[in-house]
Amino acid sequence: MRALFRRENRLGLLVVLPFAAFVGLFLVYPTIVVLYKAVTPGGSFGTEALQRALSGTYRTGFINSIALSGASAIIGGIVGILLALTIKSLDRPRWLHPTLDSWSAVASQLGGVGLAFAFIATIGAQGILTKLFMSVGVNLADYGISATGFWGLVVVYLYFQIPLMFLVMMPAVNGLKSSWREAAAIMGASPGRYWWSVGIPILTPATLGGILLLFVNAFTAYATAYVLNAGGALVPLQIRFLLQGNVITGEEDLGNAIVAWVIALLLSSLLIMTLLQRRTLKWTST
Amino acid sequence: MSMEAVTALMPGSDHVEGLQASPNTKPTLRATSAVKWVFLVGIALYFAVPMLAMARFAFQAVPTALLTPEKLFTGWSAAGLWTALTDPQILAATKTSVLLVVFAILLNLILLVPLAIVTEVRNPQIRPYLTALTLLPWVIPPIALVVGVAATFRATVPWFLASNFSLVPFYALWAMPFTYRALDAGLQAINARTLYEASRSMGASLATIIFRVLIPNMRASMVAAAGLTAAMVLGEFAFASLLLKRTLPTEMVNYQRSDPRGGLALALFVMVLTALSLGLVVRSLRRRGLNIQTTGL
Repeated sequence: MRALFRRENRLGLLVVLPFAAFVGLFLVYPTIVVLYKAVTPGGSFGTEALQRALSGTYRTGFINSIALSGASAIIGGIVGILLALTIKSLDRPRWLHPTLDSWSAVASQLGGVGLAFAFIATIGAQGILTKLFMSVGVNLADYGISATGFWGLVVVYLYFQIPLMFLVMMPAVNGLKSSWREAAAIMGASPGRYWWSVGIPILTPATLGGILLLFVNAFTAYATAYVLNAGGALVPLQIRFLLQGNVITGEEDLGNAIVAWVIALLLSSLLIMTLLQRRTLKWTST
Repeated sequence: MSMEAVTALMPGSDHVEGLQASPNTKPTLRATSAVKWVFLVGIALYFAVPMLAMARFAFQAVPTALLTPEKLFTGWSAAGLWTALTDPQILAATKTSVLLVVFAILLNLILLVPLAIVTEVRNPQIRPYLTALTLLPWVIPPIALVVGVAATFRATVPWFLASNFSLVPFYALWAMPFTYRALDAGLQAINARTLYEASRSMGASLATIIFRVLIPNMRASMVAAAGLTAAMVLGEFAFASLLLKRTLPTEMVNYQRSDPRGGLALALFVMVLTALSLGLVVRSLRRRGLNIQTTGL
């Protein structure tokens, strides 16, 4: 960094400064203010707000959000990696891999208003699947699969989670060299033994990293949850409630405290994810 | 043992036909292949059914409760979509969103093109800082930053948040990771440093190098970054909604409350357009061999 400030490097400084000022003003400054206010509720230093943010309905919110993000990350992670492995093993229809690649790039960005509408038309009260299952005597809502139920939300989130996992895992899966499989077979290893001793250990860091990314992705999803059930007890919806509700003294600090916890949660997930990714790179970079 | 015999031992290899696999391995391989296809068809159904259900709801004026097999082909019309598309408030919101897209792209390119070039050709030591920065939007997502923005700018510069265009810097911020990645990948693909040194040794000025050598070569990355930014801005809901802005996504939710059918038709239309343009961007990147992760990681 110091090299930037040497005389001959005025050009570097000239391009870095506006960029740093921009990020500082619009990202770092508001974030620091929120974190500072979270630990100084009512003007003096204290942890009351941070404690309140994890009690009562807000505790429920965090539990629900973590459960929803966790469930959709684990299921999406497993399906996503199975999809990546399946696609790698099938080379017959040539169009399959590039099509799925492009589709995943698109679908992983599709979370939002439109996706929520699509699932209202599918598993909502008037949804076509709801009706189809009803006609054979199965009420999907009894299993939590409605547009507002827990498993319904998981089903909706999977729509962008599975493609994201596929995108994140494909490089790692492609990094499994066929020569390793051949070497294992020549040494007499069964396919099961190959996966147990080679495949799974190599894919594990990337898989865990991918699942953490999915977790973060689901935790911060707002539009889908809002359109499906604006009153639900999820952290992003509670932040909205605090932000738009009448500002009672202390409520503002509560919002700041919740955001502080969210940032702490995301930051630690992403730190672990980066460490795991570094391990993956060791095997897949060549 | 020949290579072919080895691959035939692997799970999931499809080289069944034409190999002398022993009679009892053949059915198991065929079985795993069948399992794979069942899995793929299941996934395809999961992704297709909601879109088809949405299309049916949007374009067929038959309530689900009254839908019977013989009514499957009656009542189809695109009138709802047309009404939605010509709604004055939707038009105004679309205009706002398109302007937000344009300004966010321009702002990002102005900030990041010089930065990416200088990093690549003269100061590679700042690259790790920039790469770390690309994780920031994942740590501070819209739903978290909006609280900070409300706590700071709302009190100090209320006129700034009153304008629709106050969204521009924040949208540029969240588009930064993949914009920087796209520009950086573009520069590496053309071997920018060699081009820079070659031009330099032939006496080109810095401006000539940037505007006549590097930027024309970065067009593909810029188009890719612009496409991804557009998709992100046209889908962003949390930030705009919480700051009470009327962008296309927020207006779509309002509109859907009064006209569910037209609202769904409009949402489907926007989604299909976004998907098509994103798909084109991704395909053109693949064809140029640029490896850009749309996730921005």
